[in-house]
Amino acid sequence: MTPFLDMQIGDRVITLMAALVLVLQIAMVSQRWIVVHIRIFAAQSFFLAMIAATIAWYNHAPHIYIAAALTLVVKVILVPILFERLVERMEIHEEIEPIVNVPLSVLISGGLTLVGYVVAESFYKPGEPGLGHNMLAVAISLFLIGFFTMINRRKALTQVLALLSLENGLFLAAISLTYGMPLIVELGIFFDVLVAAMVLGILVYRIRETFESMDVSRLRRLRG
Amino acid sequence: MTGQIIGRILESLAQLCLLLAIAPLVTGVIRALKARMQTRRGPGILQPYRDLYKLFRKGMVIPETASWIFAATPWIVFFSTVLAGLMIPMVAAEAPLGLFGGVLAVIYLLGLGRFFLALSGLDTGSSFGGLGSSREMTISALAEPAMMLAIFTVAIGAGSTSLTQIAGAAIGQNWRFLAPAQMFAFAALALVLIAETGRIPVDNPDTHLELTMIHEAMILEYSGPNLALVEWAASIKQLVLMTLLINCFWPIGLQPTWFGFGALQGIAWLLAKLLFLSCAIVLIETVNAKMRLFRVPELLAVAFTLGSLALISTFLF
Repeated sequence: MTPFLDMQIGDRVITLMAALVLVLQIAMVSQRWIVVHIRIFAAQSFFLAMIAATIAWYNHAPHIYIAAALTLVVKVILVPILFERLVERMEIHEEIEPIVNVPLSVLISGGLTLVGYVVAESFYKPGEPGLGHNMLAVAISLFLIGFFTMINRRKALTQVLALLSLENGLFLAAISLTYGMPLIVELGIFFDVLVAAMVLGILVYRIRETFESMDVSRLRRLRG
Repeated sequence: MTGQIIGRILESLAQLCLLLAIAPLVTGVIRALKARMQTRRGPGILQPYRDLYKLFRKGMVIPETASWIFAATPWIVFFSTVLAGLMIPMVAAEAPLGLFGGVLAVIYLLGLGRFFLALSGLDTGSSFGGLGSSREMTISALAEPAMMLAIFTVAIGAGSTSLTQIAGAAIGQNWRFLAPAQMFAFAALALVLIAETGRIPVDNPDTHLELTMIHEAMILEYSGPNLALVEWAASIKQLVLMTLLINCFWPIGLQPTWFGFGALQGIAWLLAKLLFLSCAIVLIETVNAKMRLFRVPELLAVAFTLGSLALISTFLF
């Protein structure tokens, strides 16, 4: 049997890429430079697209290819370019300052991964065949770490990035549970992400203009 | 029975010679490659041998305040490191002194050496020595848990902490290196390798700048043959850790025994893999700047998290 048809190899490749996605998520938590952060997000989305394409290949489900291609276009190319331009325009040079310090954040992310695994365990039926049965665990971990990163950051732009990586988790969960939602739903979600990224980008820019900072803790003050 | 013992002794001698001979070479190759990457000419790859030869012929200066610990440390460090080197599989999957202990013995023999080095740094009463010891201990206290978690992951995969069995299990499975647990463990161990051998994001091995040095600060008071022993032990330790990394995760070319024509092939494979790993280290050293000391725990926290993820995913994937 050729490796391109062997389910077991497909399973390994998907597991490996899911692991990479998880590692990149933790790398995002430990990253201090916003441009590197954006690029890690792009890399993570790239692996996500590859996972979707692999699942499409082994399950003979052509409509997932469209989801993979959309991920590639929207999250790997459009959104990072949009954000890098925003960073350039706002001339952000300072480092990201998380609320909890970095070593502790990384350890907390590790703990959240464990929680993700424990939660996913109850969904897993032994003996059920299928590709990447552990992807749900990775997806829940991405979700939890994304939430944690959002809470942990002060600046609006990094919170938006965290929100998008959280959305990556959602996409992974959807793909691993259903092997692809109906195409119209997928399209809706991608359009949503793109619009959200643009709107949030503008919002972040406005916050910066009005308050001379992206620090959301300053939004308590009223400005005319 | 006697034949077996003699065979074991011969194996140990062969590995001992290999260990002592190529450890300075690895250091030299890394330095030369790094110089090339930075478009310098740099010293030749044989420079560490010349340095050792020169140091062994010099007299030594011993500080007045030093006690017996200062004199004994180079020997303890040297022999514990060599002993650790004999417990790992280098050319053959069977480690020559494997029956005296597995991977835990290797880690703690290296730990023993480090402990005495830190003591000798404090022993002379110089402020730099104490500074170096305190930094070295801080880093190793953080690196050791990460290393243990990564090693345990590998040991669970092989069902034993004996390095002979770990290397044997690694030979058997073709696709194993693609498993997430192995990948996490490899990444964690690679980060620990960088921290433990004092490579650039953590420590700069080429500098004697007071503010940043870690390893060099501890051995500042040593001179002559003592310094040669400490330096030699440091390069052997680097070789041991590199060999541990490549033979646990990437055992291509590992021979079943030391005897026969296969040994030459095994040595060739070992050198090729070491060269590859050296290139990777040089690349990391060149593209990174040294971290501030207070940032080092962040790197090691990443290593620790990767190690624990590795351990979690052995049970779940």
